[in-house]
Amino acid sequence: MQRDKFFKEIENVIHPNETLVKTHCSYCGMQCGMNLRVNTKTNKIIGVEPRYDWPVTVGKMCPKGVTAYQQTNHDDRILKPLIRDDASLKGTKEGFREATWDEAYSLIAKKFGELQDKYGKDTLSVFSGVSMTNEKCYLTGKFARVALQTRYIDYNGRFCMSSAAGGFLRSFGVDRGSTLPWTDLHETDCLFIAGSNTAECHPTSMFRVWAVQERGGYLIVADPRETPIARRADVHLDLRPGTDLALANGILNLLIQNGHADAEFVNNHTNGFEETKELVKEFTPEYTSEITGVAPEKIIRAAEIYGKAPNAVVMFARGIEQQHKGVDNVSAYTNMALVTGKIGRPKSGVATFTGQGNGQGGREHGQKSDLLPGYRKITNPKHVEEVCQVWGITPEEMPQPGVSAYEMFELMEQKTIRAMYLLCSNPAVSAPNLNFVRKAMKGLDFMVCADFYLSESAEFADVILPTVTWSEDEGTVTNLEGRIIKINKAQEPLGESKPDWQIQAELAEYLGRGKYFSHLKTARDVADEFRLASKGGYADYYGATWDKIDKQDGVFWPCKDEKDEGTPHMFLDKKFYHPDGKAKICALPYRPPAEEPCEEYPLRLTTGRVVYHYLSGNQTRRIQFLRDMCPEPYVEVHPVTAAKYNIEHEEYVRLFTRRGEAEYKVKITEAIRKDTVFVPYHFGHDKSINLLTIAALDPMSRMPEFKACAAQIEKLELKKVQ
Amino acid sequence: MKKRLYLELENCIGCRSCLAACTQCGGHEERNRNYVYDVNPLVNRQTMPLMCLHCVNPACARSCPAQAIQIHETGAVLSALVEKCIGCQNCTIACPYGIPKFDTEQNLMYKCDLCIDRTKDGIPPMCASVCPSNTLQWLTDEEIEAKQKQFNLDNGKWVTSMPYLEGETNVRVNLPGILQGVTKLF
Repeated sequence: MQRDKFFKEIENVIHPNETLVKTHCSYCGMQCGMNLRVNTKTNKIIGVEPRYDWPVTVGKMCPKGVTAYQQTNHDDRILKPLIRDDASLKGTKEGFREATWDEAYSLIAKKFGELQDKYGKDTLSVFSGVSMTNEKCYLTGKFARVALQTRYIDYNGRFCMSSAAGGFLRSFGVDRGSTLPWTDLHETDCLFIAGSNTAECHPTSMFRVWAVQERGGYLIVADPRETPIARRADVHLDLRPGTDLALANGILNLLIQNGHADAEFVNNHTNGFEETKELVKEFTPEYTSEITGVAPEKIIRAAEIYGKAPNAVVMFARGIEQQHKGVDNVSAYTNMALVTGKIGRPKSGVATFTGQGNGQGGREHGQKSDLLPGYRKITNPKHVEEVCQVWGITPEEMPQPGVSAYEMFELMEQKTIRAMYLLCSNPAVSAPNLNFVRKAMKGLDFMVCADFYLSESAEFADVILPTVTWSEDEGTVTNLEGRIIKINKAQEPLGESKPDWQIQAELAEYLGRGKYFSHLKTARDVADEFRLASKGGYADYYGATWDKIDKQDGVFWPCKDEKDEGTPHMFLDKKFYHPDGKAKICALPYRPPAEEPCEEYPLRLTTGRVVYHYLSGNQTRRIQFLRDMCPEPYVEVHPVTAAKYNIEHEEYVRLFTRRGEAEYKVKITEAIRKDTVFVPYHFGHDKSINLLTIAALDPMSRMPEFKACAAQIEKLELKKVQ
Repeated sequence: MKKRLYLELENCIGCRSCLAACTQCGGHEERNRNYVYDVNPLVNRQTMPLMCLHCVNPACARSCPAQAIQIHETGAVLSALVEKCIGCQNCTIACPYGIPKFDTEQNLMYKCDLCIDRTKDGIPPMCASVCPSNTLQWLTDEEIEAKQKQFNLDNGKWVTSMPYLEGETNVRVNLPGILQGVTKLF
């Protein structure tokens, strides 16, 4: 139990004819605890009640969380399988007819079979997501490799967490998103937060963040925008988008110059210090300032505070990770903790703010093109052997590694991939360079989409399979701390919808691969097999039974057996997961963004979230309260820049890059750099900012550079806001 | 132990979770009853909630010719009684903070009742329950006193922790500037 000063014993209100089901939110990695209110006469979810006894969030919820329950019985739910016979209507909502599950499964099996006969097994692909339980994520990996027998599976974590994963693996030898529990955060002395709009993207972290300042601790925020968290920071490092690596190197240089390196820790527990020290020497405050645009005094002050802080936590998010050097940025900021030894003890460490609900667990168990359950590598014969034993296939039957999410669309364009099974994701909004991606999806011979709403991506499908929302199934999720938690079922599936694991197990039968799946009758059956499959891997969930999760308020992995209570703090023994037990301090030369501003495209475009929407907005844009609060995207422009273009607040402009264009309403604010414009990415069709973003991929994580590209604005003479 | 709603305006992150949660109290007909404002919209992202302060001598109730606005024994100033409200909207004009809202269809005023079904039993109102930034808190008088001591400043720039904004209120407010009295750790 991690009950801290925020925890209060509060009784819940239970209204007449209602019961409460304890669970967690469906959205981001915070996985706030909540109680769903269920009407005991209709057995339907009708509301939400705070879950005061959840130790991480003590009843707190953001507006998405408060209204999350409205997804379940929403009018837009797909209640029956849908088939579209007229392929010419692809890319629209038109032409779907209701079908039985049998007809849908039969059609999928027939089409997939024909394509594989003609073009080989690898002509199929699975594009998945991580806003679903570990059990579903696990089974999706098995479904692709055992039922479909294709190498091409990847997932939307490539647009979210893959850079953090790559950076942590390189620095620590293990990828657990936070080295310490969130219940430590308010007790640290300095939070250094880079590229995280925490107040909007992980709002329920904020009471802990503010508590650091109220105790007299410091808050340092690196962000091109003065976000709500940056507004109150002790130091706001207002850097140019895409220049984090220089900033991190500059601060590391000062930490070393000022004598804040912990020689004992560095010598005994790390490699790479000398080389890195040499490399960062060049990054004087002046040189760093030249690249980043941050005043040298601010860089000096930030380094001084972080260096002097007895305890400090370095945190970051997509701002630094969604760059074509995202992995380097992660390792570079992690260097700060490794050089100063502020890691491997309570109240100090490194953490990333996981974007999706199960962004942590979903990336560990085999949905990634090169990974198998338990964070095993598909290229490691021993790992393959271990998983094959659980799956009942031979190592020869295990497909080869595939390619990353964006690269799958390139293979679709080249006709190497001719069919896609899409679930739990909406790449027609969330992928970069959308003109290309949408064309690739439209060109598929056959596409299946499993979703509970008709998303923009479902508009490209031939068959839509109705899935359940998170509240109509049970299973585990791993939150941003690395804590495995339990999602509980509050209502029976609406209409004919089914959980993804059930759909995949049933479809496997139609594909002639039923014997590998037919024993999986319940979510718990999948959980038991999944725990076994993870056993012995880095991300070992074997000991994280549902009972233990319930009893302990979650279980932090690794958790190897029944007696193991899990690992809230990583590296307390100063042992890292590289073979020699040492962490790696990385020497990382600076690289500018893939596309720098020029005369034709003089502005830096960056993208992100607003507090009211989640990911592609497929869920949140349908919720009345959230839609009322933020009905459409906008472009944030500094008043000085706006004056240059002669544009006014709430006027519509055309924003364009080398890849695409869209029209947006202008939002004037001084809380952004003059050389930068910002657009939130939650919107579909012609409002998607990803029509403009660049698909420059990180060489290690294959993460696209959503956070920086070159853009231009054009005033629209006639379209003044009505 | 009696608890009160306490506001630390400087904490507000503008998420409007309080408004979303307001609809969830069970007694609010799923309509939110308070406000969150952008303080300086074209300049920065500062926001602040504007909640009913539950005045000890509320102007809304005094202005009501039909005695439709009752004061609960906890001090909560309740929403208009359906059977008494005549829809004159005096209260919406009388309230110095502009809190009462008016439903033209029902010809009825409605306002924050501090989730009376919860707070009468000491359970925090929905807004303070969910507030992710601790802008809205549900505290004992002792806890509020400790807060006010901590933030009691008269530095010529800001006066924080003023006892009341206008008249005496049941809700306590801490104006921006809460960090000014904080001694840094190092």
